[in-house]
Amino acid sequence: MRFERITDAIGNTPLVRIDPSVHGLRTIDLYAKLEMLNPFGSIKDRAAWNMARPGLATAADEGRTVVELSSGNTAKALAVLAGMHGVPFKTVTNRMRIPEVKDLLLLLGAEVEELPGQTECLDPTNTDDPLTRFHQALTEPGGAYLYTDQYYNDRNTQAHVDGTGPEIVKDLDGRAPDWFIACVGTAGSSTGVARVLREHDPRVGVVGLVSSKADFVPGIRTIDEVQEVGLFDPGTYDTLASVTADEALDGMLTLARRCGILAGPTSGAAYFGAVRHLRELDTAPAPEPDVDRPAERRTAVFIVCDRIESYLGYVRQRRPELLGRPPQPNSLATLADAEVREAPDIDVEGAESWIEREHPLVVDLRSPFAYTALHIAGSVNIVDELFGELVRGGLPFSKSRPVLLACPVGEQSARYAALLSRMGHPDVRSLRGGIIAWRDAGAPLVRE
Amino acid sequence: MDVPLYLEPRLESRLASLLRARTFLHTLAGGLGSPLNVVLPDRIAENLAAFRAVYRRHHLSGGIYFAHKANRSSALVRRLAATDAGMDVASVRELQHALGAGFAPDRILATGPKNGEFLWLAARTGTAVHVDSPGELDELAALVRDHRLPRVRVLLRLSGFRTPGVRLLSRQSRFGTAEGDLDGLLKAVERHGDAVELTGVGYHLDTTSPAEKAVALEGCVKALDTCRVRGFTPRAVDIGGGFGTDYLADGAQWQRYTTELTNAALGTRPPMTWRRHTYGLRNENGTLRGALALYPAHRPTAGARYLDELLSLPAPSLGRPLATLLLENLYELHTEPGRALVDQCGVTLARVLEVRRTQPSERSEAVDDRTSPGHLLVRLDANADDIGLEEHGVLVDPVLVPRTARPVPDTGPVAVYLAGNLCLEADMITRRAVHLPAAPRPGDLLVFANTAGYCMDFSADEAQQQPVARKAAVWQEEAADGLPQEDAPWHWCLDEQYWPHVPRRTKGTA
Repeated sequence: MRFERITDAIGNTPLVRIDPSVHGLRTIDLYAKLEMLNPFGSIKDRAAWNMARPGLATAADEGRTVVELSSGNTAKALAVLAGMHGVPFKTVTNRMRIPEVKDLLLLLGAEVEELPGQTECLDPTNTDDPLTRFHQALTEPGGAYLYTDQYYNDRNTQAHVDGTGPEIVKDLDGRAPDWFIACVGTAGSSTGVARVLREHDPRVGVVGLVSSKADFVPGIRTIDEVQEVGLFDPGTYDTLASVTADEALDGMLTLARRCGILAGPTSGAAYFGAVRHLRELDTAPAPEPDVDRPAERRTAVFIVCDRIESYLGYVRQRRPELLGRPPQPNSLATLADAEVREAPDIDVEGAESWIEREHPLVVDLRSPFAYTALHIAGSVNIVDELFGELVRGGLPFSKSRPVLLACPVGEQSARYAALLSRMGHPDVRSLRGGIIAWRDAGAPLVRE
Repeated sequence: MDVPLYLEPRLESRLASLLRARTFLHTLAGGLGSPLNVVLPDRIAENLAAFRAVYRRHHLSGGIYFAHKANRSSALVRRLAATDAGMDVASVRELQHALGAGFAPDRILATGPKNGEFLWLAARTGTAVHVDSPGELDELAALVRDHRLPRVRVLLRLSGFRTPGVRLLSRQSRFGTAEGDLDGLLKAVERHGDAVELTGVGYHLDTTSPAEKAVALEGCVKALDTCRVRGFTPRAVDIGGGFGTDYLADGAQWQRYTTELTNAALGTRPPMTWRRHTYGLRNENGTLRGALALYPAHRPTAGARYLDELLSLPAPSLGRPLATLLLENLYELHTEPGRALVDQCGVTLARVLEVRRTQPSERSEAVDDRTSPGHLLVRLDANADDIGLEEHGVLVDPVLVPRTARPVPDTGPVAVYLAGNLCLEADMITRRAVHLPAAPRPGDLLVFANTAGYCMDFSADEAQQQPVARKAAVWQEEAADGLPQEDAPWHWCLDEQYWPHVPRRTKGTA
């Protein structure tokens, strides 16, 4: 396959059958539409390109900036597309909840603005909600914006009417599937695909998935939030069901570990929601015998919308055990409480004279910022995280030289003193009460 | 009505026990009138201990200053005086009150924008002043010089913190000095070095978002570093308040309720509110616009737990957890909790005067509401300014405490509008239909739980010469042997007669 432009690689994604031994459905073939294989990584490439294309060619000459409300894949695709056309891109979001995406957007050259949180002291007469202000700014005279407006823009839906929908029908040998399952974010893909499938066969069952209200699944709105979407029409869906973050992660794990589909939690939600919905229908007979359809087997399609890599932080937060590592040999986690209690230490007065007499190596475990501000004269700064890494490999200094460890209150230094003693250092001590006790005793701290 | 849309209040053991003391509550309201505010001073000490425990867990020292504006009660302030808490006062009267309750000036912080009297009394008594603007600093320094007062400890209130990478927008604030203008402010502090001593900086952000506060807290640590470079020896970061309160017992009820509010605004269900009020939501061609103007009444992470979570967040640019950042830079942490410190510390009682059906002419209300048997209008002997929950956007149901012990006729769940005692259409204590398990009757009490934070006396006044609520302090003695503590008898005295030693020589019992 040879392309002249990367944008020509958008669309025409594979439709892959999920092994029945994974989902356990006996009479239904479940297919995944792999939108994650779009060049910028998600289904949003289609909508972003379709929405931005008409204005992009002239945007640079007109000095326009592409603007969107997005905290994820749409912003990512628009950032790339705007950059390729020499146009600045700015996205405004409510709380970026996926830190990897935030960093990636900055890397791609986007400007990111986050809206403030809810007020703590409510002023019921205040009608100035930040989004209203955003829309006002866009329509101010002289504003040079190319606003793609993904939640209202029909070109978002149209991208799927022209692309995603017909591709599914073509790959199913000209037939629409019996069910189509999609997560609802901007509602663009589900609305567009559903329109095409229903034109082919009005009996298609469309399942829209929203995120459970108290939960957060990236890229999906809750049942209340979908009401804020201009493209959302409840009539599109035969069923609206909700999925929790936990269920999305279960689905994601199944796709990744058993199907070889390295997709993110949104796709996991779609898979989970699809199987949950279809399981109940698996044994029911087809609604009416149909000469056009095979008697027993029916088909369902769900959307795999993006890739797994950006969601490691999301997984770490919700399922840390999935990323767990066994404890390291020389780590604080291996210390018993008794060992820490018996760690050798020394009080401020003792430490001052010890430093004078024997010149121990003074190691300050605080961060460089705090160390730079004030520290014990002659000390070296090895921040605790780094120190932990160092001792994992063995003692980082000679046994012949005594060591005084210092941290803010003497807690962490005691634990490292215990660890270093166990590793065979003959004279390591913790500064009792830490740098705070040192300061409170009036002992000198310097800034160099 | 399908399922009643309850928003049941979160009642921890003390408050739950008080609400079970039916005769006691009716005796109090009978003697002191309706509306009546009741405060639980022992609870505020427990809340303080929870905040202090978070400090201890992070090895942090520093003051926990009660934001007095949340409640005017003397009992609560005097009870706090018997602990290690401090007071955050925002007016000369609040300062006088704190001093009179037993707080020495070194435990008081004067905050907010100040007038001359307030500055004078703070300076004269040696109360630390949280400086709101450069002009205020000049005024304070002039006072100190003119009257040859000792140097006054000052903290600088900063705002407009900048973030690395992503621009985090914050609401515009009327208060504080922009972080970018710190240099000018420090020049003023240097100029006034004979009159003031810089002890720290602080912020107070009106947001529920910990991410915004993390930016501000780190900004303060960096600002203090600048202060150190300039030769000052500051010791504290003051992160203000805004730790929040969880008002509701059941998060699922809140989720369901807000979904139905959304549906009502879109017109896909019958209205749930008086005159179709929509709490800030609106329907534009079938799409929801606007934002729900409500306090997030269901907040699983509130109060001391919110502080714990904030302190555990990484600093946005330096990467260390915020608690570690404070600790290793040798700074103390000051907090000014208001609402969070009086969580579960008070209730407001209101007597039911009249119960009637809403008029059938209210076509928009009853007629097209096919699922409801019709709403009741319950008139209370209190007005919307006495019970500030609605004004502060806090949606939570009152608890019905019937007048008599004989069984209530089983009306089943009802939806009621709560109207006030003013001759004013707008005097609605709730603009929403409140669902109650049974219909109230005249003479019953409705008890609004957890009103001590801003919803008790913040805006109460004598409109139409209706009386302002009296305030009573209540407490329990040690339970008799073998009895659970929550069933111990309740005692009371007038709020202004409460002193921390009072519980030991019990006054009124009922």
